[in-house]
Amino acid sequence: MSDLSLFTRQLQTGAPQTEILNSPGDLARFAVDGRAPALVVLPATVEDVAVTLKLASEHRLTVLPVGGSTQLGLGQPPERYDLALCTARLNRILEHEAADLTCSVQAGITLAALQQQLAIKGQFLALDPPDSEHATIGGILAANSSGPQRLRYGSARDLVIGLRVVLGDGTIARSGGKVVKNVAGYDLNKLYIGSLGTLGVIVEANFKLIPRAEEEQTLLVACRDASTAMEIVISLLSSVVTPTALELLDRAAQQQLPGQAVQATSATSYLLAIAFSGGAKAVVRQIADARAAAAHQGGAPQNTLEGANHDGFWAAVRAQQHGPVTCKVSLLINSVASFLARAQAICQEQQLTSSVIAHAGSGLVYLQLGPSDAVDRLAMAISQLRALALSDKGSLVITNAPTALKARINVWGEPRPDLRLMKILKQRFDPQYTLVKGRFVGGI
Amino acid sequence: MALDTQAKAALVEALGAVVGARYVLSSDYDLMLYEYDASIDRARPDVVVFPASTAEVSAIVKLANQRNIPFVARGAGTGLSGGAIPLQGGIVIAFQRMNRILDIDYRNLRAIVQPGVVNLHLSNAMTPNGFYYVPDPSSQKSCTIGGNVGENSGGPHTLIYGVTTNHVLGLEVVLPDGEIVEVGGPTFDTPGYDLTGLLVGSEGTLGIVTSITVRIVHQAEAVKTLVGIFNTVDDASNTVSGIVEAGIIPAALEMMDQIILQAVEDYIHAGYPQDAAAVLLIEVEGLRDTVDEQVSRVVAVCEANHARAVRIANDEQERQLLWRGRKEAFGAVGRISHEFYVQDGVVPRTKLPYVLDRVNAICASYGLRVGNVFHAGDGNLHPLILFDSQVPGEVEKVRQAGFDILKVCADAGGSITGEHGVGMEKSDAMPLIFSDDDLAVMQRVRDAFNPHNLCNPGKVFPTPGRCADIKLVIGQQRSPAYAQAEAEGAWH
Repeated sequence: MSDLSLFTRQLQTGAPQTEILNSPGDLARFAVDGRAPALVVLPATVEDVAVTLKLASEHRLTVLPVGGSTQLGLGQPPERYDLALCTARLNRILEHEAADLTCSVQAGITLAALQQQLAIKGQFLALDPPDSEHATIGGILAANSSGPQRLRYGSARDLVIGLRVVLGDGTIARSGGKVVKNVAGYDLNKLYIGSLGTLGVIVEANFKLIPRAEEEQTLLVACRDASTAMEIVISLLSSVVTPTALELLDRAAQQQLPGQAVQATSATSYLLAIAFSGGAKAVVRQIADARAAAAHQGGAPQNTLEGANHDGFWAAVRAQQHGPVTCKVSLLINSVASFLARAQAICQEQQLTSSVIAHAGSGLVYLQLGPSDAVDRLAMAISQLRALALSDKGSLVITNAPTALKARINVWGEPRPDLRLMKILKQRFDPQYTLVKGRFVGGI
Repeated sequence: MALDTQAKAALVEALGAVVGARYVLSSDYDLMLYEYDASIDRARPDVVVFPASTAEVSAIVKLANQRNIPFVARGAGTGLSGGAIPLQGGIVIAFQRMNRILDIDYRNLRAIVQPGVVNLHLSNAMTPNGFYYVPDPSSQKSCTIGGNVGENSGGPHTLIYGVTTNHVLGLEVVLPDGEIVEVGGPTFDTPGYDLTGLLVGSEGTLGIVTSITVRIVHQAEAVKTLVGIFNTVDDASNTVSGIVEAGIIPAALEMMDQIILQAVEDYIHAGYPQDAAAVLLIEVEGLRDTVDEQVSRVVAVCEANHARAVRIANDEQERQLLWRGRKEAFGAVGRISHEFYVQDGVVPRTKLPYVLDRVNAICASYGLRVGNVFHAGDGNLHPLILFDSQVPGEVEKVRQAGFDILKVCADAGGSITGEHGVGMEKSDAMPLIFSDDDLAVMQRVRDAFNPHNLCNPGKVFPTPGRCADIKLVIGQQRSPAYAQAEAEGAWH
């Protein structure tokens, strides 16, 4: 009798509500880099998550926490992958204290489902990663996913006020709390966010919320080149307007937008989308300011998007953060334009297709490359792009790629000297590597 | 734990070789000035050293490790929880000499500073260009950014823009073993664990920060400050929830109750009414043409909650005066009671009416007077309990009342500290909000970074067997540092 069947029996006894899947079809759905788990476990409660992990660690099985499976392509291939621990059944909103602008949710709820509930009270969680219909809160936090609006509202690290996490040995621990200001104890929330499930399984999260804006509008500006667009971005950031998002799209990215949204001319090499939200009066004033600033810097202000056009445009933009081969490049704002120019040249040299959307005001460039089977050329191009980013204090992470490419180039890049600390932390949190090894930075 | 004479002499000599003999203090007279911070905790270091560079800090820490001597980093000594107190003696590493702004990069919205830079000096340096650094502890005229990073400091204007951690992107750190490492950086989302986020607010127990990369932002176009005057504390509290519920997030939302108002008005003459039960000091900022609209919405909420009057500051001078009254409130209270004890609890905003009632009832039950001056918009309470240590048993009552208040905050779903830190003062209150398992996980982190516990020992974690000392501000025995901090408004 294998460890696995003994584990299964003990899990059925210790946490009888837990669903266990082992049909080939189910297992294939949870495959990571072509590797399927031996079992999929769906706990019904936080306590069952703890039982699962405790048993897994006793049986020396390795566990990968999975939410909506939207970011399974992030990371190096796992070394060993026995169990997928799917949080889908932990999908309740525990509290929405509207008057306090806070909420507490279980990790398996999708972002879209949460937003729908919060909207009833006129509020929202200010995170806008792609695929909110599938992406779960736990997954979004573990992968530190974000979207264009982070310019105004920050990323998960700025919005999470408390977490409940189950460690590899089954210990259930809280960090932070339910209040918006709190310095009691170490801020472990920060450590868990973006740790890709290597320190623990996020099971509950508390957030601060934002009241929904009365009005949202986006001004589109056609720009002849990236430096014109970035001069507009920098001038807006050095002014009294407070854009919600400043998004830059190259021509290839524009072609993937819904037709009616954009009327930019074919001469437009870059499109800059400048979003504002707030009171109607404030939005109108800022759109006018942005129009003037854009024209002053040599851009050609186009139409303003509102209502359904506005929402459709931004959904299409967010979707382009994620493709078969995607690089997330983090740069200083002032380096974005020159990076994009070099990136274009490198892709041409390597005969690769590319499309770019960038959270330009945050210095984050999402670069889609193709064809995805051109592994040699992709690896060559990405290593050049990475060197470019690093030379300017930035970084390049491949957020999605075929497994073959991951064999050629590490998705995280060369570890930095602080890897030593990360490894010691991993050692203290999960010495046995119950949580799947190999996907994270430096082989963690 | 004091070093013996021989060990101390050897240490002084070794440190002198690192930084130069004139930058090492070791006489009793000199050391006395470094035995406290603004919390009036006391513990005397064996030696104080003033490094001028990261390399020197690293050398000092390595030296301490070789000799198994504890060490504590210190900024301006304005902390309110004993974070910079050398509880077990040893070396205080003071950052007065590492006080340079290394870079201000407007195009990239970043600045790099050494830890000894005074908070306000950074914003002042950027004023001509219209930029500033957001976190503004009330002690910002004297506290250092290194200290702010250690404590994850807040301030009145963090309601909308967040506290220190939301503005720090990268750190250069000397680890407890002396190694120098950079975490994070000027760009977002550095691959790997967010060690920057972990280190901010770790109260100097995970390492010593030697350089800090922060975000800077452009100033708002317009700002308006108003004062809502209320006949009951309940009405004022309900106004706080009402404003937030109406979808308005002001730049600042502060409350002062009657005891505070009377003290402040006698001292500052800012025009606060002395007969009101409470006032709210509210600031909104944004575009010139929309701030007025926000003001009228805030006024409407005040009036719906029975405000007796709402006054709007007419000009910048009046605004500054109102803020001076708020920021120097602790100093003003020092004039009516030689001794007071400051608490720092947090509760959900909607629980403010209940919790303030309880705070007042708790203090009354011990026969103690209490004034409240605090960041109402964040639900961050600062009750000041007034007392007289000459009255037998009074100190013990204050101690108990303070703990009872924290318990009420914890029971209301809040926290035992919103911005002052756990330090020495509240380590024994940690179990009010964290389980043994929660604390054990935090210990794993400390052990990962600071396995020998030489780096700021005795802080943050409950110490089994150690009696919870409450640190009291003893008026008659005020230290020079305390008096100076008070004069500079070093109080929240």
